[in-house]
Amino acid sequence: MAHDIDIRGLTKSFGSHAVLHGIDLRIGEGEFVGLMGPNGAGKSTLIKILAGVHGNYGGELRFGGERVPSLAGRDDVGFIHQDLGLVDDMSIVDNLRLGEAPLRRLGPLLHHGREARAAADALALVGLERSVDTPVGALSPGEKTLVAVARLLARGARVLVVDEATSTLSPADAQQLIDSLKRTTAEGATVIMVSHKLSEILRVCDRIVVVLDGRLVEDRPAEGLDHDGLVELLVAHEVDGHPGGEREPARPGEELVRLEGAVAGRAGPVDLVVHAGEVVGLTGLAGSGLHDVAFLAHGSAVPDRGRVVRPPSATTALVPPYRERQGGFDEHSIARNLTISALPRWRAPWRLLRTGVERRDARDVVGRLDVRPGDPERAYGDLSGGNKQKVVFGRALLRDPRLYVLCEPTRGVDVQTRREIYRLIDELRSGGAGVLVVTSDFEDLVAVADRMSVVVDGRVGPFLVADDMSAKDLEAFI
Amino acid sequence: MRNIDPSTGGAATAPDPAPVPPPEPAAIRRMLSSDGFRASVTFIAFLALFAVYAVWLGDSFMTTDGRLLDVHQNAPVLLLGLAVLVTLIAGQFDLSVASMATLTTFLAIGLKVNQDWPFLLVIVACLGIGVIGGLLNGFLVVRLRVNTFIATLATGGIFLGLSSVYSKGTQLSPTEGDPPIPGWFSGPDSLGAFGNKVPSVVAWIVIALLVLWAFTAVRSRRPERFAEGAWAGIAAGIVAVATAVLLVVGAGGFVEGMSWTILLLLVVGLGLWTLITQMTYGRHLHATGANPEAARLAGVRTERVTVQAFVIGGVLAALAGIVLAANQGSASPDVAAGYLLPAFAAAFLSTVVLSSGRFTVPGTIIGGTFLVWVSQGLIVGGLEFTWNEVVNGVVLAVAVAFSTVFRKDGR
Repeated sequence: MAHDIDIRGLTKSFGSHAVLHGIDLRIGEGEFVGLMGPNGAGKSTLIKILAGVHGNYGGELRFGGERVPSLAGRDDVGFIHQDLGLVDDMSIVDNLRLGEAPLRRLGPLLHHGREARAAADALALVGLERSVDTPVGALSPGEKTLVAVARLLARGARVLVVDEATSTLSPADAQQLIDSLKRTTAEGATVIMVSHKLSEILRVCDRIVVVLDGRLVEDRPAEGLDHDGLVELLVAHEVDGHPGGEREPARPGEELVRLEGAVAGRAGPVDLVVHAGEVVGLTGLAGSGLHDVAFLAHGSAVPDRGRVVRPPSATTALVPPYRERQGGFDEHSIARNLTISALPRWRAPWRLLRTGVERRDARDVVGRLDVRPGDPERAYGDLSGGNKQKVVFGRALLRDPRLYVLCEPTRGVDVQTRREIYRLIDELRSGGAGVLVVTSDFEDLVAVADRMSVVVDGRVGPFLVADDMSAKDLEAFI
Repeated sequence: MRNIDPSTGGAATAPDPAPVPPPEPAAIRRMLSSDGFRASVTFIAFLALFAVYAVWLGDSFMTTDGRLLDVHQNAPVLLLGLAVLVTLIAGQFDLSVASMATLTTFLAIGLKVNQDWPFLLVIVACLGIGVIGGLLNGFLVVRLRVNTFIATLATGGIFLGLSSVYSKGTQLSPTEGDPPIPGWFSGPDSLGAFGNKVPSVVAWIVIALLVLWAFTAVRSRRPERFAEGAWAGIAAGIVAVATAVLLVVGAGGFVEGMSWTILLLLVVGLGLWTLITQMTYGRHLHATGANPEAARLAGVRTERVTVQAFVIGGVLAALAGIVLAANQGSASPDVAAGYLLPAFAAAFLSTVVLSSGRFTVPGTIIGGTFLVWVSQGLIVGGLEFTWNEVVNGVVLAVAVAFSTVFRKDGR
């Protein structure tokens, strides 16, 4: 058929490092395929080859039976990344018209009416009920993604490749997006979706493909698979690193930070205390001011009103929520990304840096967190999303602060890494550090928090003790 | 990467997936695709061009003294290149540096000749003006959030305007009866004179430092397949051979030919290199330029770092003006106006000369010097000197385009 994708014996190496070892995958029209696998397994590389970002691969790629170098630059294939390529300052209709032949009234004059009607039709395809004159900057992240999908569909996309587009969305937004994607497959379009969110994959995909270490290790229908079965599929090929056992009860020590009626951004007034030796969890929907609370506690936001009190010894480190934008420095090496927050550690007389020791320490962290590829001199920008997350985490660890503020610590990471991160947070707590976990993923809080609360409209609600909490309860609580 | 070798192909479809390529092309291909080669391709291209010059022009171009004179005369441009380099690393543009240099040229001459200040105070005052100018730029860009182009364009206008207010729009040159400029600063046998050379022992120390730097630079670019110890030996060998070749070709004249201005340039370069590669400030500066938001959230005080970058740029620009005053012994309106473009060109060339995409101090000095030599060679060869700017523009565009093309097949 015209939009079949046929991948045969696909291989790819960067220098001497082989990332894909012969992937064979055939995807027919109307399929909804979930592509899963641990961070650095080669999913992103596969997608980037399809998107024409990486050339110079081995094997062949066929589309509709014809051999092609990549699927880039065709109207019938569309790619959705976290970076949507929309212009915030422009309206929905103008964004939809970008790069299109103008609809003309007469000569150079544009036919605004027809453009608006075409845009409204496109929005209807994705079920987005918004005026086409709304500036894109005013939309929620989920709605923006829908606009990007609408743009692709309006251009005639029959194949959509969605690369972790839901990982930065609130649960409600993510649901709206994948429901809309599901509708397109019902009309014969093909969707390939990369995600770490098991529930999403299970809910919409017809077929699940698992990539591990550059090989395709599972390819089976989603039918008959439940959450536990899928976890088993994903970790079956790995050493089980589950910590297990009961957590020790928290022994809160001295205060590390105290927010008193603090107001900044969308947060506030907020009252919040984090002690040494405890893990405090906050959750909430996107736009609730959740992350502004984190910035206040970290000290990267200055309160407009109220106070943030911190004892002089209480150093802080932050894992920021939006990794792609706030995480690191793409052109710089992994090592430099790791050490930027902790440079005084390597300061020699005359304020020079002991670069040799610095490099060795960076190498240690890369090994400890199992960042792949494990060469600390490689560019940070070459890493997959989950490995970037590890580096940003490692940066906080190197700083060795009293208080860790962790925003969305498990966003976009695989099951294995997620467990590692939970274990690490436990370790930090027993080491006497205070941890504030701010996340839109309830699972995180159930796994690590001693007490937790929900942020609604910038205010922190009453705290609940973790004991008998489950994700369901908390979800219901919101 | 897959080696596809047409020579072993033939008509039959070979099931053997690993054709053995002839060893030599593979080795060359490996070398061509190595990071080290990619980073130095523009540098090598420049050297090749100078080899062509050497054949074409012979001794009229290949004189150590003549080429050192180019460096000497262009020291202010190279200092301005370093000035814009710092702000470029921070992700900002400083268009005011040339005007700052013009202002301090006037002040360095005028505060002595007209106001009869003690000369050291004059120097300190000029550098102080550089600090104030940098603070002003930083204040506009960081506090008031004025776009960096607009802010520095405006302050550049202010600095240039102040220089013409101060000089009443005319040239300023010392005449009989004015308080004299000290003989060590300007005139024959002064800081500014090319004829006044540094003692050869100092020159030897400089050469030793340059060799040491070259060794460290080569050693840090170790290809994966060499062990650390073995590569250190190879690096030492490469540098030793290169040094020997340079000494034979005529760099020996460097020892006798190095003027105080060149020494000053190299010392400033070394200091700046240390600051931005070996100290915390440099890391913070690079981080700020690469991603300000990530840097801020990682604990870097980006606003302060940016202001400091403008201040360093301002001081370097002021220094460029002082050196200009020393070289010329007088000041004329717009004395440094034409320097802005070559200064930026030198800084941008640093991203392709011995570097893959980073702004570097050695690259700025080498790139800026190569730029002068290219046009100087053409002038020696008979081109009207009025073509200078055209040549500068062409060299910048060609060099950057050239290395971009070479880097493309990396991915």
